[in-house]
Amino acid sequence: MAHVSVPMYWRTIPQRYRLVGMQCKKCGKVNFPPKGVCKYCNASSEFAEVRLSGKGKVHTFTLIGAGGAPPEFAEQEKAGGVYPVTIVELEEGPKVIGQMADVNPKDVTIGMPVRAELRRIYEEEGVVRYGFKFVPLEGGA
Amino acid sequence: MRKVAIVGAGQSRYGEFPDKSIKELFLEAYQDMAKSVDRGYDPKRVGAAYIGNLGCGGFQLGNMSALVSEYVGLPYVHAMRIENACASGGYALVTAAMDVMAGVHDVVLAGGVEKMTDVSGLKTKYWLGVSGDTEYERLAGTTFSGLYALIAQRHMHEFGTTREHLSMVAVKNHKNGAQNPKAQFQRETTLEKAMKAPMVAAPLNLFDCCSTTDGASAVLVTSAEKAKEFTDTPIYIEGFGTASDYLAIHDRVATTTLEGTRRAADQAYKMAGVGPKDIQIAEVHDCFTIAELLAYEDLGFCEKGQAGPYLMEGHTQITGDRPVNASGGLKAKGHPIGSTGTGQAYEMFHQLRGDVQKPTRQVKGVERGLLHNVGGSGGTVVVTVLAR
Repeated sequence: MAHVSVPMYWRTIPQRYRLVGMQCKKCGKVNFPPKGVCKYCNASSEFAEVRLSGKGKVHTFTLIGAGGAPPEFAEQEKAGGVYPVTIVELEEGPKVIGQMADVNPKDVTIGMPVRAELRRIYEEEGVVRYGFKFVPLEGGA
Repeated sequence: MRKVAIVGAGQSRYGEFPDKSIKELFLEAYQDMAKSVDRGYDPKRVGAAYIGNLGCGGFQLGNMSALVSEYVGLPYVHAMRIENACASGGYALVTAAMDVMAGVHDVVLAGGVEKMTDVSGLKTKYWLGVSGDTEYERLAGTTFSGLYALIAQRHMHEFGTTREHLSMVAVKNHKNGAQNPKAQFQRETTLEKAMKAPMVAAPLNLFDCCSTTDGASAVLVTSAEKAKEFTDTPIYIEGFGTASDYLAIHDRVATTTLEGTRRAADQAYKMAGVGPKDIQIAEVHDCFTIAELLAYEDLGFCEKGQAGPYLMEGHTQITGDRPVNASGGLKAKGHPIGSTGTGQAYEMFHQLRGDVQKPTRQVKGVERGLLHNVGGSGGTVVVTVLAR
């Protein structure tokens, strides 16, 4: 079942709270989320932790409506209506999926500058899960 | 290595069957397969059964293949459940082919079964959101409609694909499904209705998405040499290819290409010694309308980005020069996950032999066809080339 238990979630907190990427010691590229072997050079498992800026641009997006939300997010959809999910191309290179907040869904566009913020993601098993969401970057690019 | 052929193929009706269990659905497909073997089917010859299945709501995850095999009278075989999400059936077929090619068994059953309507809608979502990247994609608030929507939005941005292009896939496949007595939705739809359906994950609406389906299928595979003992018109497996990809879309090289499809197709064409131009008919994985457009491009039926115009020119209509999803596809025929791949093989077996159940759906004079089955949003892909 597609359920993320608290320990599973807990193990990914460096990524979700602080956007910690793994810089390959061989080719220098940043893997985010982490991989066991660098996905760019496929030749090294040695990484240095780097904290990403969280800034980037919307690469693509969708607006999740009724029927499109996983059960963990059904309440959010019911209460707040349609919510945007984006893939953001971060300025350090990697792309990452995340929800967008503080924006009218109608105003989301490809290429839009955004930055990551720590937000409430959802609640399950009585535990609130926090992580990054993207918000519009003040002053644009 | 030995050449391989399909000598029988059967399918249950696809739809919602509250009165049928997973075992009974599989029996329906199995008996239909047995009936299709021209010179008679002898279960004693079957050495292995590879059965595609995602999970059926988790009620029989372990030993599922042994369960459905013994129910239809095949105890004591090499029974294996094959799981690669929505591509499970297609992988069951190529695993059966590999087995026969290697000479381990002479006669092998490949099939698939899924029972998706026994569980509640809520539980279904837990059991269907299982094949993407759970830690990131699921926790960003997406299910599969959202993931394919991310691909669709980018495809529209890069190549000018339109709302109308997406909806035309649904209209075409429903038109074919209306002619398929085993399809889940045996009714046509209009472009207007398809374009105005409620939004699920923009830009995808309800009519861009396939449904949840109960169903099963079964295919009998043997060596080309032995095929004539079963029928005068075997359908040969000329080539196949499989490729996995990064599960999460954000990890992939390109958002608008299923790299797994490209690579699997390359392998399949190479093994068959053919190219895309030699494919006269295809069953492709249209779990969402955008997925059929991606398939046209990634299988080499048209240039990258040109799937919309290619569709609108009518090439893939049942009357076109390369009909795609004459069965109605996943969209109208239905998508009982584990069964989909071998269900495609069932359709192609009969199309290439010219004995489709309802003649209005028969494409005339086709000798070579392609099957394309995708797991998740492209994490696994299998492509198979079949010929008379």
